Amino acid sequence: MEQALAQAGIHLEDAAGIVATGYGRMNSAYTDKQFSEISCHAKGIAHLLPNARTIIDIGGQDAKAIRLDDRGMVQQFAMNDKCAAGTGRFLEVMARVMETSLSELQEWDNKARTVAHVSSTCTVFAESEVISLLSAGTPKADIIAGVHKSVASKAGSLVLRIGLQEDVVMSGGVAQNRGVVKAMEAELKVPVQVAPNPQIVGALGAALFAYEAQMKKQK
Amino acid sequence: MSKMQSILEKLAINPVQAVEDYKKKTGKGAVGCIAPYTPEEIIHAAGMLPIGLWGGQVELNKVRAVLPAFACSIMQSIKELELSGSYDILTAVLCPSSCDTLKAIGQKWTRKDVPMIQFVHPHNRKLPAARTFLAKEYQHVRERLENVIGEPIPDEAIVQSIQVYNEHRAVMREFARAAGAHPDLIDPKTRHLVFKSAFFMRKEEHTALVRELTALLDEAPVKPWDGPKIILSGIMAEPDSILDVMKELHIAVVADDLAQESRQNRVDVPEDGTVMERLAEQWQNMYGCSLAYEHEKTRVPMLVDMVKKNQADAVVVAMMKFCDPEEFDYPMIKQTMEKENIPLLQVEIDQQMQSVEQFRTRMQSFVEMLRHE
Amino acid sequence: MAENVQKTAPSSREMLGYYLNKSYQDAIEGKARGELVCWASSIAPCEFCETMGIHMLYPENHAAAIAAKHGAEEMIEHAESMGYSVDNCSYARINLAYMDIQKCVAENMPLPDFVLVCNNICETLIKWYENIAYQLKVPIIMIDVPYNYEYEPSEWAIDYIAAQFEHAIEQMEEITGKKFDYNKYREVMQIAAESSYWWTKAMGMAAAKPSPLNGFDIFNYMALIVCMRGKTGCRDTFKKLAEELEEKIQKGEPAFKEGEKYRIMWDGIACWPYLSHNYKAMRALGMNMTGSTYPRGWKLDYDKDDIRSMARAYTSVGNNLSLEAQIDLKTEVVRTYNCQGVTYHLNRSCKCMDFLFHEMQTEVARRTDTPYITFDGDQSDPRNFSKAQFETRVQGLAEMMEQRKS
Repeated sequence: MEQALAQAGIHLEDAAGIVATGYGRMNSAYTDKQFSEISCHAKGIAHLLPNARTIIDIGGQDAKAIRLDDRGMVQQFAMNDKCAAGTGRFLEVMARVMETSLSELQEWDNKARTVAHVSSTCTVFAESEVISLLSAGTPKADIIAGVHKSVASKAGSLVLRIGLQEDVVMSGGVAQNRGVVKAMEAELKVPVQVAPNPQIVGALGAALFAYEAQMKKQK
Repeated sequence: MSKMQSILEKLAINPVQAVEDYKKKTGKGAVGCIAPYTPEEIIHAAGMLPIGLWGGQVELNKVRAVLPAFACSIMQSIKELELSGSYDILTAVLCPSSCDTLKAIGQKWTRKDVPMIQFVHPHNRKLPAARTFLAKEYQHVRERLENVIGEPIPDEAIVQSIQVYNEHRAVMREFARAAGAHPDLIDPKTRHLVFKSAFFMRKEEHTALVRELTALLDEAPVKPWDGPKIILSGIMAEPDSILDVMKELHIAVVADDLAQESRQNRVDVPEDGTVMERLAEQWQNMYGCSLAYEHEKTRVPMLVDMVKKNQADAVVVAMMKFCDPEEFDYPMIKQTMEKENIPLLQVEIDQQMQSVEQFRTRMQSFVEMLRHE
Repeated sequence: MAENVQKTAPSSREMLGYYLNKSYQDAIEGKARGELVCWASSIAPCEFCETMGIHMLYPENHAAAIAAKHGAEEMIEHAESMGYSVDNCSYARINLAYMDIQKCVAENMPLPDFVLVCNNICETLIKWYENIAYQLKVPIIMIDVPYNYEYEPSEWAIDYIAAQFEHAIEQMEEITGKKFDYNKYREVMQIAAESSYWWTKAMGMAAAKPSPLNGFDIFNYMALIVCMRGKTGCRDTFKKLAEELEEKIQKGEPAFKEGEKYRIMWDGIACWPYLSHNYKAMRALGMNMTGSTYPRGWKLDYDKDDIRSMARAYTSVGNNLSLEAQIDLKTEVVRTYNCQGVTYHLNRSCKCMDFLFHEMQTEVARRTDTPYITFDGDQSDPRNFSKAQFETRVQGLAEMMEQRKS
């Protein structure tokens, strides 16, 4: 918290209101209010891209699909099960298995000629599959494209659960990976936009909640 | 081409083609029969083609929105195929309610133009009231089917179909015996395909081909087999790639207790009673199957007997992942096999399995273990 | 509840504790005297056993108690070492492990002399009890109620169930060596009917706004309707509870003194290992569970002189209904209890409930215009649940309900 304030060059007293979101939101001592990531991502996206009706947010721990109504309100959402398959954590594990880094995944994906098949139901299972693929001589780029397809397919099923409506927008850190976005488009067969600075959309939403609360107070 | 090969070629599996050809030839349609057990005789008697629906290797997309990941892969793929319209060529579909997943599959059916005919097998099987119940349940199936096709299915036709099916069961039991004696001629995958092809053909045709095949096997000299001989038990042993691995490892399947294979032919329809009662009584007489309630669990001693009778080296349980009935039987099988000193391997079955490497590793280590014994 | 009346009348909660403990103690002492003990599934027809004076114990309830006392994990691991799959029902795994080791963190349960199972809850029970009977070599009395794939049970299904009741009586006579006492039977049926009546009545009071009943209490009180439906103690406890709740309504004393901000329906079994976590997370949001399918679960109304009517009652229990009938049932719960949202427990142990969720959720939400969430959990395997995920989802539900208010 202190670090964040220092980076922003502000003091705690300067903040008119503080809203927390994400894991750990319950434990923050400074906050006036806290909202779930779901509402915050919705808020952030509705502000940035008012035509968005479906949000796919893939973060480190969670993958979720959120449906918005015309007013930008959450109508329905679906989230991954306890297993980490389909989340940022899954990509991290896969990157490690393939001796590359998260940030390099999209470059590899670019070089893929075909998409290898990687199971999307379980991280552990997918890991052993990837190792088999590597030992069978499948090009690394193709496997990485397969891993991306697997993430997209997992998130795609969340979207199907809430019902697909355009425009579709991706947020969360994983949206920075063009490989996943491309796979997502292939999966859903519709264009997928990426939110500007996707990794901070949740935080932006939280800030918007704080701002609105402040405006109400001042009235 | 050898005679045997030409028969095997005729047993090739192509469901869509089979349905289209049948429609063209007879002007009658096909009815889907969701695994494991349906009164196919009624469909057959209507002059239609009963088609076994046992899933398949398909990519799971649409189903993932409507069924959690912990449903077995057969039902996952059946639902996927349904949602993507693959079953729209069928006239109707029959669905038993043998487990919690099947109950849901029947209820979740979405194809309005392909009527779903769900029914229930009773669990309290030995009671006379169970026979009466199931006879009426089958009668209800028959009436709904008659409604769909718009014509009656007469008793005499069903009696004839029962005859055809009993004959088919007997021929399949003979084939299983002959194939077990000739692993050099019938490898695990071929054996599986001979069984599976019965789900896509009128049974009288299948009977004729398999009878011919069995005769050829019986003529052939019995050669010694130096690889491991196993009994396969479970719902099914698919995808085919795992059977290829078995072949590579020089494994012979000398007998099976698979729902998709020998369990289909275990018990004949008895002779006495009204047509529907006869069909119902077959279910009362069924044994050794995880889906047919029995607190005696005859499946367990049956597997031991099968090992002895076929001089098998081991039992391999092909465990359909997420299949409650099968998973609940396993501890008892394990207990008894340990007591009887019969080597046992459990392998997980997932129809969508793409890579067989994990399977190969387990199977190969098992084979190596058997050699040391 | 004649023999144990204290000077000041005990509260329903005290009665609950007293009778629950008594049902286990009686069975333990009875077993020691050589009396018969029966294990039964939770909505099986207990009337026959009660008539015969047999001690009834309920593995589902026992497994839930073990899980609530945080003793599930070791039992589950034992079951897995016996060869059970991690994917099997966790109640079954706990019970089958208990059968093997006969020790647990909750009350001990003497092994049964026979078992009674009715599959109106799920088909998994059939395999579970098949295994108990096989392993312990004890008789099994099965009441097989065919799944109602159509809206109403068929007449031939009713015939079949009724015939099994008659067969069950014969089996019971053989097991006990005694004649079945039809006069006693009528008394027991009367008590069971009264228990059901007061249970449904008390639980139904959650419909009041604000609710006098803290919804999670249903999970506690439920143990008694499961374990003692045929006994007067059960009836008296729920009669007392109904009176207490009535009084709270009169006095204007809601269960949530801080205010009941949201009323929700909970679909599915509780997450026993995390019951207090779930409760706190929801209460922190002002969320009371006013709706559930439990009040209806033991609403077994039948004509005591008509065995077919009894058959109809036992086959028309929630999970044994067609999808359409279950949708109607849940829609009615949302409306009757004024629920503003629904949480669906995607319970790894319960394929029977889970596999119809998609259709149910969509349709109930459409008919009642309420938002819903699904959370992943398990009735008693603590490994299949994540606190943070649960918190996020219920908060998501609260936020969706809040939006709809404005």
